[in-house]
Amino acid sequence: MSRPAHRRPEYHKINKDLFVLTYGALVAQLCKDYEKDEDVNKYLDKMGYGIGTRLVEDFLARSCVRRCHSYSEIIDIIAQVAFKMYLGITPSVTCNNSSRTEFSLILDKNPLVEFVEELPAGRSSLCYCNLLCGIIRGALEMVHLAADVTFLQDTLKGDRVTEIGITFLKKLDEKKYRRKK
Amino acid sequence: MSRQANRGTESKKMSSELFTLTYGALVTQLCKDYENDEDVNKQLDKMGYNIGVRLIEDFLARSNVGRCHDFRETADVIAKVAFKMYLGITPSITNWSPAGDEFSLILENNPLVDFVELPDNHSSLIYSNLLCGVLRGALEMVQMAVEARFVQDTLKGDGVTEIRMRFIRRIEDNLPAGEE
Repeated sequence: MSRPAHRRPEYHKINKDLFVLTYGALVAQLCKDYEKDEDVNKYLDKMGYGIGTRLVEDFLARSCVRRCHSYSEIIDIIAQVAFKMYLGITPSVTCNNSSRTEFSLILDKNPLVEFVEELPAGRSSLCYCNLLCGIIRGALEMVHLAADVTFLQDTLKGDRVTEIGITFLKKLDEKKYRRKK
Repeated sequence: MSRQANRGTESKKMSSELFTLTYGALVTQLCKDYENDEDVNKQLDKMGYNIGVRLIEDFLARSNVGRCHDFRETADVIAKVAFKMYLGITPSITNWSPAGDEFSLILENNPLVDFVELPDNHSSLIYSNLLCGVLRGALEMVQMAVEARFVQDTLKGDGVTEIRMRFIRRIEDNLPAGEE
C-alpha cells in the first residue's frame, strides 16, 4: 500500500498522545490475532522493520548527519537525534563490551507506555514496545549495518527502566546487499 | 490496561512520520484480518472512538479551552486547536448548513496518507477512518452526539480530503467510558 514519498511532505511536529493511543490499538489488535506472546512480539518486530526501512530515508534527509566512523557515533545519533526527533525523548547510552559492539539505550521514561498501567493478564511475555526494536534494526540495515536489537529491561515487567540492547554484527557487504522483506 | 497520562519532563512533541507509518501498519493489519473494506472501516471507527474517549481528557487539560457555547465554537476548537495539536495541520471550516448543525473540515494535506496509495482491491477503504471515530468519541465525552464521515478523500482521487460533521443532539445522561 505504500509508495516512496515523491514530494517532500511538510514536516509536522505533533503532540504524542494520539500516536501513543494508536500504538496501543495496534498492539491490542495483534493480541486478538495471535494467541502467543512470542508471535505478537515477532509481528511487532517485523512491522517495525518495515517502518524502519522507510523511516531512515526521512531521517537522513532531515537530520543531515555525516557518515559515522564508529558504532559509538551511530548509537549516539540514534539516541540524541533519532529518538529525539521521532519520540521526543533522549535515552542515555551505555557500552556493554570492550570491543564496543554492544550498547544499551536506557529510557527513563518510555512515551509508548504512558497510558499502559500493566500488561494484560496472560500476557507476561509481551514486549509491548517491540516495534521500536524492529524500527532500529530495519533502519540500520538500510545503511548496511546488521544488528540484533532486543529489550533487556522493561518497566511494564517491573524493571526500573526500559533498556534496549543493540549488538552490531558483521558489517553487510554493500555490493552484495539486497533489501530483505 | 490504561491509566492517567504521566506528565514527565520530556518533550510532548514528536515528528509525525513515525505516527504516519505506524498508522499504516495498523490499517494493513486490519485489512489482513477483515475480508471486506466495510468491516475495516467499521473497526477503524470503533478503535478511533475508544481513542477519542481517552484523548479528550488530555486535550482539555492541555489546551485550556473553555466550554463551547455553540457548534460553531466547537468547530473552531476542533480545527484550530485539536487538529493542530495532534496532526500538525489546521483544516478549514466550510459549508455550514443553514441550521448551523453541519459543517465540513477541509484538509488540504492529510499527514496520515503521506506514503499511501490505495491498492485497486481496496477502493471502498476509508483509510483515515480512525479520525472519524476519534472525533465522535471525544465529542461524546463532552455531551455531544455527532456524526463524522469522509465525503472526499485524496486517496480516491479527490482534490482535498473533506470530513463532514453533523450535530445530532446534546447528551444529558452519563455514558459508559467506551465501547468494547
